[in-house]
Amino acid sequence: MALLLTRRRRPGLLSARGLTGLALVGAVALAGLFAPLLTSYDPVAQSDLALAGPGADHLLGTDDIGRDLFSRVLYGIRTDLLISFTAVPVGALLGCAFALLAATSRWADMSVQRLFDLILAFPGLILALAVTAILGPGALPVVIVIALAEIPGFGRQLRAGILVQREREYALAARVGGASRLRVLVRHVLPNAVDPLIVQGAVAMSVAVFIEGAMSFLGVGVRPPEPSLGSILSQSMAYLSTHPAFAIAPLTAVTALVLGFALIAEALNKGIRR
Amino acid sequence: MRSYLLKRLPSAALVLLLASFVIFAILRLIPGDPATSLAGPDAGPEAVAAIRARLGLDQPFLTQYAGWLGDLLTGDLGPSYAIGGEVSELIGNGLGATVELTLAALLLVVVLGLAIGLVGATTRRPWVAGALRALTTAVLAVPPFVTGIALVLVFAVTLGLLPPGGHESVLDAPDLAVQYLLLPALCLALPSAAILGRYVKDGLERTLAEDYVRTATALGVPRKRIIRRHALPNALPPVVTVLGMQIGQLLGGAVLVEAIFAWPGLGQLAEQGVVRRDYPVVQDLLLLMVGVFVLVQLLTDLVYAWLDPRIRWE
Repeated sequence: MALLLTRRRRPGLLSARGLTGLALVGAVALAGLFAPLLTSYDPVAQSDLALAGPGADHLLGTDDIGRDLFSRVLYGIRTDLLISFTAVPVGALLGCAFALLAATSRWADMSVQRLFDLILAFPGLILALAVTAILGPGALPVVIVIALAEIPGFGRQLRAGILVQREREYALAARVGGASRLRVLVRHVLPNAVDPLIVQGAVAMSVAVFIEGAMSFLGVGVRPPEPSLGSILSQSMAYLSTHPAFAIAPLTAVTALVLGFALIAEALNKGIRR
Repeated sequence: MRSYLLKRLPSAALVLLLASFVIFAILRLIPGDPATSLAGPDAGPEAVAAIRARLGLDQPFLTQYAGWLGDLLTGDLGPSYAIGGEVSELIGNGLGATVELTLAALLLVVVLGLAIGLVGATTRRPWVAGALRALTTAVLAVPPFVTGIALVLVFAVTLGLLPPGGHESVLDAPDLAVQYLLLPALCLALPSAAILGRYVKDGLERTLAEDYVRTATALGVPRKRIIRRHALPNALPPVVTVLGMQIGQLLGGAVLVEAIFAWPGLGQLAEQGVVRRDYPVVQDLLLLMVGVFVLVQLLTDLVYAWLDPRIRWE
């Protein structure tokens, strides 16, 4: 009886936290995915109707050169998700490659660890400014900065997993059975060490949207007329006191994405640790 | 302590030297040539060559690098390429505003972080702890430009209590200066305060479970005194390390916050330097930031040993 009365807490993604995160990210992502169906306005087409308020014609109004804001925000979500879904896998793969390299010898481990320290020592935005100084502003430096910034996170996570799994009995058994060190690492240890990387992936997505927004906001990321959430926000800054509605839609989208991915990460983390 | 410093200083200097080389090399890898952009689109090759010679860009790479290091050691940073004026003057002007903003934010981080941690660890109401956890999660995830714009929309646009951006000198008008400082400092401080708060809470929960706390409770020591005299001091050392790391984050975050609130600091200078390809400004600024980072790490280690007598300077 007592058992029935205690509220069962569902683990992982199905917890309240995980479902909230999924709903937030899902809503924003679907809006971006179906952008061409949801609006008939071209996100870069200008009109004479500048800084119009929300209304029947333009759902969220127009920006300072008469572009439809609803359409810009929807296509901006697309830009953000495209950048994040390109950059995070690149960073993850590089991080994992370094972690595998580190597992081959003590010397390699030392070098890889110092490399991660070096990347972490640069505050993110300084890294962003440095990369943009080399490449000039655009979407490519944003992808590179995100990928670079994510390498240590994935790398350290996998390295820790490998160190634990390598000492497990099944790994020793495979070794005794005559498998080479490399084979044990790739075929036996690696598949058992990748679980925490899913959590890291959700964290990385949250950070990626963050970095895109910050770089485009500073004018060193995606450049107008191309819409991205950060560049729309950056534009809206000049009109905060006169047209606050301009900023609210991109603000909501960024918040929902970043917070959603963070909540998913927390929920997954709890689910894995059980 | 002196021998510890003697041991740490050379490695700190080595990190700085390495960083200076990396910064210098990276800036020289940039495809564009500042002389070409300075000369303008109509200039002939002779004009570009003259500018290159004037700026010393026609010298070999290592000569330029050595020249820069020499300038740094003598404190003569030379003129900027594109922004105009002496680099040392530009940095000096921005440094004051950035230090002001960072110190104000640091104060807020300590106050808010301790408050979040203390309340979180000692409250007996589950909803208070839950609300604090949700709040810190949100503040940590949401980027500063989102909190910044939200703060402006609420406090400047809707309520009209504080100015939306700008800067006023503390010396000329202290009361106005504080009004201008409040929103940017809060925006910069919030994420770090949330992190610090979590560490304070974890540390306090751990020390409050220690035997000496139970002994003190059994002896009838009031709970407030137990927290202040026994639990909190023992929870602090890891917090100081985190605070040290957060100072680096604050300096990095200042770039963004300065852009939101039109704060005339080093962040704006760095942004301008990158956009306008002003080598001297960018390389001196980057090195300065790395330098501050190294210094803060050194200080953190020293404070750590001072807080916890079991740790020796070796």
